[in-house]
Amino acid sequence: MSQTAAQRFLHDAAVKSADLMHREIIQRGMDSYDVAHLKGRARIKDWEAAREKCQAIKREAINHLDRYLLQFEEKVIARGGHVFWAANSEEACTYVKNLATRLGVRTVVKSKSMVTEEIQLSPVLEKAGIKVWETDLGEFIVQLREEPPYHIVTPAMHLNRGQIAKLFREKLDPAIDSDDPAYLMAAARRILRQAFFAAEMGISGANFLVADAGVIAISTNEGNGRLCTSIPRIHVVVTGIEKVIPRLEDLAVLWPVLATSGTGQGITTYGTLIGGPRRPGEVDGAEEFHVVLVDNGRSQLLADAEQREVLHCIRCGACLNICPVFRHVGGHTYGTTYPGPIGSVLTPHLNGIQEFKHLSYASSLCGACTSVCPVKIDLAHHLLQNRRNATEAGATKSSERLIFRAWRYAMLRPRMYALGGWLVRKVLRIIYGLGLAGSILDPMRVWNRYRSPVPLPSESFRARWRKDLAAN
Amino acid sequence: MPQTNKVQTKEAQTENPSRDRILERIRAGLRTVVPEPAAMRSGQVIFEPIVNPLERFQQECVGNLMECALTADSAASARQLSKVLQSLPEGETFVQDDPALRRLIEQAAPARAIRWSSPSSSEGAPGEASQATVTLAEALIAQTGSILVTAACGGRGASVIAPCHIVYATVVQLVPDLATALSRVSQERKLDSNSFACVISGSSRTADIEKILVQGAHGPRRLVVILQTAT
Repeated sequence: MSQTAAQRFLHDAAVKSADLMHREIIQRGMDSYDVAHLKGRARIKDWEAAREKCQAIKREAINHLDRYLLQFEEKVIARGGHVFWAANSEEACTYVKNLATRLGVRTVVKSKSMVTEEIQLSPVLEKAGIKVWETDLGEFIVQLREEPPYHIVTPAMHLNRGQIAKLFREKLDPAIDSDDPAYLMAAARRILRQAFFAAEMGISGANFLVADAGVIAISTNEGNGRLCTSIPRIHVVVTGIEKVIPRLEDLAVLWPVLATSGTGQGITTYGTLIGGPRRPGEVDGAEEFHVVLVDNGRSQLLADAEQREVLHCIRCGACLNICPVFRHVGGHTYGTTYPGPIGSVLTPHLNGIQEFKHLSYASSLCGACTSVCPVKIDLAHHLLQNRRNATEAGATKSSERLIFRAWRYAMLRPRMYALGGWLVRKVLRIIYGLGLAGSILDPMRVWNRYRSPVPLPSESFRARWRKDLAAN
Repeated sequence: MPQTNKVQTKEAQTENPSRDRILERIRAGLRTVVPEPAAMRSGQVIFEPIVNPLERFQQECVGNLMECALTADSAASARQLSKVLQSLPEGETFVQDDPALRRLIEQAAPARAIRWSSPSSSEGAPGEASQATVTLAEALIAQTGSILVTAACGGRGASVIAPCHIVYATVVQLVPDLATALSRVSQERKLDSNSFACVISGSSRTADIEKILVQGAHGPRRLVVILQTAT
């Protein structure tokens, strides 16, 4: 049976929101994030000023994207690094695969990178016979489960320790006999250590590309990103063109704001800057340094005057964490690389509005996402604009268009509208009276299927207005 | 491993069939004018100014789960170093080859094998057997309780491979905040002379399982700063 993305979303959302164990795990995870996030924000004297500053930095970078990317490229090449510009996933994957094959790579260690998920790099490398190890603990867990990351910052937050211990026992070592997080981390560390020292190639993402210094900036807590970029003899960075920032000093505010929004930390443990291969006289480091700049639909967004700012996103995950829809349906339900509000805004642009227009409706338009975004992206309004764009592109169902036409007709004729309201109240009263609320005959079935029906008012709002309210 | 000259020649440059196309698309997109919102209010202070850098640094170290030991002079630093080394399991110690650290190690006289950093030998970088690494730092940052290292501080692996990283620093290296530290890196062109730099704020950690903090993930479980008040 071939389902559309929208049908799959509805199905998975219904299943997930009724899954009490999932709900409890997410609730607990989000509660501890909320506490840490608020504490982190209190460490910054003027949070609003920090957001405005980050917004201004990203706006300057995106509005001069060509100039800053060229500045970055020039510096990296001057230090002996390589910069490859990939128009789409295929070009990016082919470049990395050919590089790995040419240099005799058999094992790759990866640190967390959502862009490599977006372009589906690992399957391409594995098809070429290369072993790929995800080394971030959360990514390692979801890789063992053969599923995509659940969340862009904490990929395995949908699992509890018992499930992870069981997974490790099955996939890694039958002797694993504790579900203590420290014990499980130590088990992963032992296995991944061997991978770090065996790998010929390390693949990382980049949180920022610093134009004036010509370096990539990576934020990690575990240190896996450091090991991926220190031990193997080849280092490949795969990242989006929109990650560029103008100046090194911009990190003085971007780093603390990213950490606060991502995990509630004052700053991430390792803020790593790398500008090229190992230099003469240095003790260690990769001898080959390649940066793959991925476009994959991003440059199209520049021409969209309303939504260009979507490219400001620093992928902190704050909008996912606060979103009431994400908290109930979970990350996998979206069926996209980037879930949550930012994913619902971005995915129609990257993967097509026709297939992903339903995501614009996976929102109550409550605006919580807009209120937490550290670079002040107006996510709620972008969801609304995507709804409009889908409608204008003629992507709506004809039944939906018909209903709205009828509604418009009635709205313009008060008598007709009053008559319609009266009729609906009458019909619903009969249906509810017969105990058919939520049944196939109930026009309010979508709502009433899972809820007790909202009590019907005895008279219309117009009647009440005339009687009581207009008098004052 | 001897260093080979890695400067790229023209022929070795990456082939980039899509580069010009992407740049053209970017430029075409940017021709669309996006109305600028109101400029930032001026005179905003984002971070609380640092009044007492040393006190702040020590506070932040506690929050970052790292150890900071204040020492009066080099003899006290050497004693502190041997105390830390004695608390570690058997195994070699990797040390950045620098005159100051040579003197410190001589004074501390640890009863364990020392591996000195060297750019010209494969033995010159820390390995899996290293129990601890001892390095200098470029700067200490009070605001975030961080140390700033570059490739010159014993290389990339020196601050991440061993279970314990010990940093020997003096209070004159303390700067108030990240902005100062980063603008010095820019001014002194540190990233032109180093392929790597890192702002390290605590021991390695993860909260990927049930958001529970675990200290000691892939990097050091212990980060010790021996901070000497006089030279």
